[in-house]
Amino acid sequence: MGKHPADIRSVETNIVKNPAGWLNDRLPIISFLKDNALNFPTPKNLNWAYVFGGIAMVALMLQIITGIFLAMHYKADVKLAFDSIQHIMRNVEWGWLIRNMHMVGASFFFMAVYAHMGRGLYYGSYKSPREVLWGIGVIIFLIMMATAFLGYVLPWGQMSFWGATVITNLLSVIPFIGNSIVVWLWGGYSVGDPTLTRFYTFHFVLPFVILAIVVIHIWALHEHGNTNPTGKELRNKNDYVPFHPYYTAKDLVGIVAYLIPFSFMVFFLPEYLGHTDNLIPANPLVTPAHIVPEWYFLPFYAILRAIPIKELGVLAMFGSILIMFVLPWLDRSPIKSARNRPLFRQLFWIFVLNFIVLGWVGGKPPEGVYVLIARVAVVVYFGFFALLPLVSKLEIAKLKEGK
Amino acid sequence: MKILLPVLMLLSGAAWANEGAPLAKQNWSFTGVRADWNKDELYRGYTVATQVCLACHSFKYISHRDLMRVGFTEAEVKTMAANLKMTIDQPIHTGLAETDAQELYGKVPPDLSLMTKAREGLADYVYGVLTGYSEKPEEIAKDFPTGLPKGAYYNHAFPGKAIAMPAPLSGPDMVSFHDNTAATVPQMAHDVVTFMQWTAEPERMERQRLGVFVLLYLIIFGVLTYFTKRAVWRDVH
Repeated sequence: MGKHPADIRSVETNIVKNPAGWLNDRLPIISFLKDNALNFPTPKNLNWAYVFGGIAMVALMLQIITGIFLAMHYKADVKLAFDSIQHIMRNVEWGWLIRNMHMVGASFFFMAVYAHMGRGLYYGSYKSPREVLWGIGVIIFLIMMATAFLGYVLPWGQMSFWGATVITNLLSVIPFIGNSIVVWLWGGYSVGDPTLTRFYTFHFVLPFVILAIVVIHIWALHEHGNTNPTGKELRNKNDYVPFHPYYTAKDLVGIVAYLIPFSFMVFFLPEYLGHTDNLIPANPLVTPAHIVPEWYFLPFYAILRAIPIKELGVLAMFGSILIMFVLPWLDRSPIKSARNRPLFRQLFWIFVLNFIVLGWVGGKPPEGVYVLIARVAVVVYFGFFALLPLVSKLEIAKLKEGK
Repeated sequence: MKILLPVLMLLSGAAWANEGAPLAKQNWSFTGVRADWNKDELYRGYTVATQVCLACHSFKYISHRDLMRVGFTEAEVKTMAANLKMTIDQPIHTGLAETDAQELYGKVPPDLSLMTKAREGLADYVYGVLTGYSEKPEEIAKDFPTGLPKGAYYNHAFPGKAIAMPAPLSGPDMVSFHDNTAATVPQMAHDVVTFMQWTAEPERMERQRLGVFVLLYLIIFGVLTYFTKRAVWRDVH
């Protein structure tokens, strides 16, 4: 915190001779940025897996900037929404570029965040004293999923409409008041104009909420600093380098490496990650053959559908994300990095592979062998979390034996 | 993880195969390394689109003025629009009223501006439908032992194989082309699908040309940033 007012003698910096110093004496923004951005001590042994946080930050900024420009031309009205997207694609100067960047950007943002979370999981970045840092990250992930879902509704294509219908209907499983909540959420008795307008409002606001929480995320990060691949807390100052120029230079390489496949998709395959049905205007009278969410929701969608009882499916889906909050307390091992945890390391890769299987099966129709695969994958997903306390114990026992 | 996710995306993209017959891949002028719009092809496609499709379907996101972006002169475009009793800035709308269409076909024919992007299988699928009609009784009997549903037509490419749209193209010489190309069914289908691809994404070529430069720029910039990073870190390692 700042100095006690009683201790401040006089501030005599000259606004003309030293404007920066003058400003800093009144609002220490320059020393704040120097301490937290430029000179922040960062472990010098961070590997490339640590670049995804910076990449996710860039992805968020790109979404916000392109989103603001789209908002200038988009019409949140069921009669105009679909046409206004075509207006952006065809008549707005550089509209197609901005819209493609926003659309592809959402997918790439999720890729960066999944990689960022995977790194955190592998190197034990959720462990004491960084539980709150991890928890804030899970909150960001949740709001990000909500934002992406709301955004996908805005083009008002068939998948927009039916995706919104299916997902909002999930809340009807809440006992007694579920149906009333859904009607309240819709602003009517089905997904319609009031729904679109309020979804647009929240899609506009939530990214700024995310940005604010990202600041808190970094605040928590800077309290104890980064983890590092060894998993040990570095107590020697020689093990650190200032963030700038070392990690600005390294993150920039990561960011450009991210922008290359991103640009490839934007310019050559902009609609590849989307669904063809979303180029058909929303029609409440025609249900698409298969309603599928965007790829980044598929693992969770698979969990939802794997369970035959609707209420349990919804609980399992939300539970699969909420369980991440208690991860720091499920994993009791004091060893952070998976490098030094042979059993956990295997479990980690099974979890990652299983997550991909969930995503794959989430895109398949819920019938035949796919149902079985999905159910096994759900068991493996939750099994990972359930086994963690046991794994920690086994590993500690083994280490003691080794000594 | 970063490497595996695109694989996941690939798999999910191909998740649901079209229920119609497998589609033959066509050679399109708008795909590949040397992709470009071909004015003659578009002109022929426009001829089919306006003389055949427009009877029932609209191209509401396109006006004649847009054709000037692919090499048509203002005079040409004005004549073309005048032939349809349109101004060059008017969206290309069908003359068929929705109520009449409902009565005739049981549904309103969809707008075609985005058709090649709005169906699984994309341009190949639309081509497949246009050329996929068959009236052979033995073929129909195989898929529909009790006969086709009322008002439906048999089509290989259409999911479910029974389509409400009567075969739109019949050859030869259903239309006459400006360059005297023979108007066979495959020729008309090919050209009109190319035209529809253009109406779906008139920015396509501009986008891809810019994309090449953006990627080149990023690759060079990436190499430079990589060596900058190495130089910055030299004293640490």
